[in-house]
This record gives sequence, C-alpha cells and structure tokens, in this order.
Amino acid sequence: MSGVAPPSPSPSPSPAAHTVAVLLDDALVTLNRAFGVLRRRNVPIEGLALHPSGTAGESRLTFVLKADAVTADRVAQQFHKMIGVRSVMVLANDDSTTEAKR
Amino acid sequence: MSEMLSGAEILCRALVDAGVEVIFGYPGGAIMPFYHALPDHPRLRHILVRHEQAAAHAADGYARASGRVGVCVATSGPGATNLVTGLAAAHMDNSPVVAITGQVSRPMIGRDAFQETDIIGITLPITKQNYLVQDVTELAEVVAEAMAVALEGRPGPVLIDVPKDVQNQKIEYGAPRARARGQSRPLTPGASGGLEDGVRKAARLIAGAERPLLMVGHGVILAQAYAEVRALAEKTGIPVITTLLGISAFPDGHPLHLGMPGMHGEVHVNRAIQNADVIIGIGLRFDDRVTGNTASFAPQARIVHIDLDRAEIGKNVPVAVGIVGDARDITRRLVAAVEPRRCERWVEHIHGFVRTRAESYRGDLSPEAILASIYEASHGDCTIVTDVGQHQMWVAKLYPYQRPNTHITSGGLGAMGFAVPAAMGVHLARPNGTVWAISGDGGFQMNMAEMATMVQEGLPVKMAVFNNGYLGMVRQWQQFFHEKRYSCTPIWSPDYVKLAEAYSIPGYRVKEASELAEVVARANAQPGPALVEFMIEQEANVYPMIPPGGSLSEPIEAAPAGAAGD
Repeated sequence: MSGVAPPSPSPSPSPAAHTVAVLLDDALVTLNRAFGVLRRRNVPIEGLALHPSGTAGESRLTFVLKADAVTADRVAQQFHKMIGVRSVMVLANDDSTTEAKR
Repeated sequence: MSEMLSGAEILCRALVDAGVEVIFGYPGGAIMPFYHALPDHPRLRHILVRHEQAAAHAADGYARASGRVGVCVATSGPGATNLVTGLAAAHMDNSPVVAITGQVSRPMIGRDAFQETDIIGITLPITKQNYLVQDVTELAEVVAEAMAVALEGRPGPVLIDVPKDVQNQKIEYGAPRARARGQSRPLTPGASGGLEDGVRKAARLIAGAERPLLMVGHGVILAQAYAEVRALAEKTGIPVITTLLGISAFPDGHPLHLGMPGMHGEVHVNRAIQNADVIIGIGLRFDDRVTGNTASFAPQARIVHIDLDRAEIGKNVPVAVGIVGDARDITRRLVAAVEPRRCERWVEHIHGFVRTRAESYRGDLSPEAILASIYEASHGDCTIVTDVGQHQMWVAKLYPYQRPNTHITSGGLGAMGFAVPAAMGVHLARPNGTVWAISGDGGFQMNMAEMATMVQEGLPVKMAVFNNGYLGMVRQWQQFFHEKRYSCTPIWSPDYVKLAEAYSIPGYRVKEASELAEVVARANAQPGPALVEFMIEQEANVYPMIPPGGSLSEPIEAAPAGAAGD
C-alpha cells in the first residue's frame, strides 16, 4: 500500500503471511500512535483496515504482515506495550491463532 | 469543601501532589497562565533555562540521578519543538520525564494560529504517551496518570499539552478522582514455559558453560540491581561487561570487571564476547553499537536475555532463553538458582587478550591524566555527565567508577549538547554531591548559554571542555573512512576563560599535565560553577574501533596506512 515504507529484505525466501488484529481505544491519538508503530518499525504491510470492534469506545485494527512468525511476534509485542491497546491477536496462514504474550 | 480554581492552579497543585520539587522551563504566550499561578506554589522550584532543549535535558539528568520524574515546561510552538531533542534522548535512554507544554486556545487549534504546532503529532514516536487536555476537569488526573506512566515499567517521557483557555478555565475543584486506566497494564514478568522454568534453564546454561559472560546495561541501574549482579558474578566467577549505559552498575577495578563492549570496547572485551559460549544479558538491548554486525556477534554463544520489555527479547539478537522481568527480581532468583562455581581459566584466557597501545597525546596531557585529576580532586566521589563524541568514549573507558549510577550520558540518541544542561539536573537531584559536566569543544558550544542558568539559579556545576579544535569523533571517521578529508570538522572556539569571566564564573585553561592537579582541585573546590578548558592533542583517536557494521572480531587498532595523524 502507498505511504508505507518498502519491506526490508526478509529472512526467508517466501515469508508467510500473518494477519494481525489489534483491539485498541477508539481515540484519535491512540490510532495515530498505532499507525506510527507500523511506519516506525518499517514492517511490510499488505492491507490495513480499521473498524469499530462492536464494543463501545473500541476499534479493531487489522493488517496483513508479509513476514515470518518471529517478525510477526516482534510487531505484536510493540503493539502490546502501547498504552491504549487492549489485545493483540496474530493469525498465521495455517489458521492457528495466538494471543501475544507479555 | 471545594473551591473555584483555574486550570493553571490545578496544574501546579497536581505537580505538588505528585511530589514534584523542581521544574525546568521557559515561559511564553500559551503557558502564561501556568507561570501566573506558579509563584503561589513555592514548593515548585522553577529553573529558568536559556533554551527549552536544556530544560528537557536537565529534567532527564534530574530523573536519571534521582530515580524520580523530571519535569520540564515550555510554551507552544517553538517552545514545544525545542523540547523535542531532549525528549528523544529521554525516550532512547528510558528516562522518566514529564513535559508540559502550553497550546493555543481550543478554538484556535487546527487554524495554524500564532505559535501553534501539533506537538502531540511531533512527539508521538518519542514519548510513551501524550495527552492533549481538552477539558479542565481531566487535568489533575492526567497529571497524576502522566507521572505514573513515565515511571512504571520501562520508564520514558510523557507529554501533556494544555491549551491556554483550559489553563484559564475555572472549575469547582475537589480531590482528583482516580482515573480508570484499564489500558495501562504493568509489564508482567514471565518467560515461555514460565518464569521459574526460564530461571532454571538459565542456571543450567551457566552450570554447563566453559566461557560464560555477564553483560549488564541500563536496566540494572534503573532496577538498582547492583548487589544482585555482584552476587551473581561473585557466586559464579563470571566476568562482567558493562555497556555504555551500564557503566557504574558494577565497580571498576573489581577483579571480575572487564569493561565496555562494542564499537569502542577494548579488544579483550570484544574478544571475550566472540569467544563466549554463554552470555547472560541483563537490562540491555544489544544495540548496534554493542554488537557490531549481529550476524557475526558472539557466534558461539547461547544468549540468556533478561529484560523488563518483552519486545526487546530477540529483537536484535537471537536468544536461547528470554526472561521478562525486573532486573533485580530476576537476578536475585538467578543467584538462588545457580550453583557456586569458578571461571578462573576463562578469566585468565581473557586477560591474555589484553592489548596495550601506543597512543599519541599532546605532551602528557592525555585523557587518562585529565580524568585521573578529576577523580583525585573529587576524592572519587562525584557524578560525571558526558556529552557525545571522543571525550565520551575516553570517559567511558578510563574513568574508574566506584559508585553506582555516577555516570550519566546520552547513549541511545547520542545528543551533543547534553552534558551541560543534564548536569544542572543532576546537581538538583544530588545537591550535596559534586557534578562534573565533561564536553568536547563542539558539544559545549551547543548549550554553553546554560552557564547563565547556573549563575542565576546557583547551580555549582563543574565544566570540563576537552578542546582539540575539531569535532573530534567525526574527524576520526573522516580519517578512517573518508580519505582524511576533514570537511567542516575544524571548529573555532571562543576564549573559554574570558567567556567564563563574562558569566562571572572562574575559568581555567590547562595546557600541560603538570598543571592538572592544582587547577582541577581549585575548580573542584569552587563554591559555584567553574570551567576548565583542556588543550588536548588535536588529532588523537579513540582506539580500538569497530567500523560501523563491522564485526567485533576485526577492530581497528591504529590509523590506517596513509591516514596520518597518530
């Protein structure tokens, strides 16, 4: 997508895709900070979607990360320590789901 | 009983309630209501800096020396943007700083008003959290929350942006309600398979290791895990490496202390890393100045990484065991879990790597001699604050630190101009101790206007300027990697002795080593600030050096052929 820095060379030849879902406060400054994490950490993103989560005052940010599990976990950890983030889910291409541990 | 208070008065009260005693700041249009209220709160000592960058660095220095939150205040627009470098430095080095900025009134926000900047947007990536206070009823709670967020977990800077009309708004003020903060969770300790399992695995690795190393960083100082780290080292005989920000976490001169690793680490320290089979890293992030090229870093070692921040484990180097938690708590558990052992052959082996170099200095006026004179004059009992560059590396390698947390420097950001203002903050945190700000002639000139702050506010900082007439570290890189083309690195200095005199500060110049002891002792004994300029060799280099991106196994130990200078 435009506006996101090009992916850095990936460690494996064909990195798996991971879908990351972040539940976070529906506040502009929190959302701004969340996008900042993606830009700042220079990670390869393929899609980015923001929706109301269904819970009042909460949004769901989802994106597809073209990276291996280690990189996906690293990104999840950066989100997890962000104030205003409520949970982070990493969905691997084999449909296994993990909640980022802290 | 409640009373009618303005936002500005609430701001002052909230700071007092949070235990704040010192504020570094600079007034201006959008923060004037706060400054109007300030004199009614004598518990808040305000230090009027000469540039807002100095306010942020001073708050950072105060925070690092005291372990409490450092507070800085600036107006909107240029005042706020001038804080940015200081906040970035605090962010990189995990220093708890709260910055309060004035903002244009709410109806003017977004209209490109006079002195309006989006300081929230500007500081998003260099703060842990920031707040635009849109409602005066939230102000007291936001301040309390900001102070807590800055300190808790991995510390860092927080910014509170307060529009001028919010500062002027009056409300009936009661005791602040506790704000619901379900989102800010403390970092919980753990490891994959559980905390105890992680500690057991680490203890097993230590037991089986032939060439183990301890690498300790800033996290040990933040957690005050000095006794625990020392107990671990002494129980196991494992030699200890201290990173730039870990310096003084373990006493220099201890038989197990090796020194600083990385780009300017001594050869034997880096060789030890390259030969180690187990590395226990506590409270460090294995940054590139420590590891060199990560692909060739510690090729034989299995790494145990103990850090408060889960996101650091495995970020830069692959780890065998990652343990998330407070350095003091985890190290204490590890001390209990390990069997006593010795590593005498390994330590002896490392000592075999020690190199001596033929350095060239101006006469006998070597960095080592200068630092020894400061150590002697202060009886080994002072805090050293360094700037960034060659002098910073000389201090890191040569100053014999004995007391914990007496070495303060801008490590991650590497901000020139840090030392002088940060030393003012250190003095206010440790009013009974001596503080020396050591700078080069480049960095000193960035914030030397703060001498006026020292005089006006009575801050007896001792300043040492290493004058080589160059931006020395850049010149060294030019010598090694840029065909010795000294582009824009020669730097003119004013007469520092006269400059000090202009500020009514005693100033001294040292040209010969024979003058050192007497002059430095005289400066150290001054009741107020003092400045000493040291005329050092112009083209001295910091050796050894790992080229940027290079391997720790391949240090530069002398000037490359054709590159004259020393």
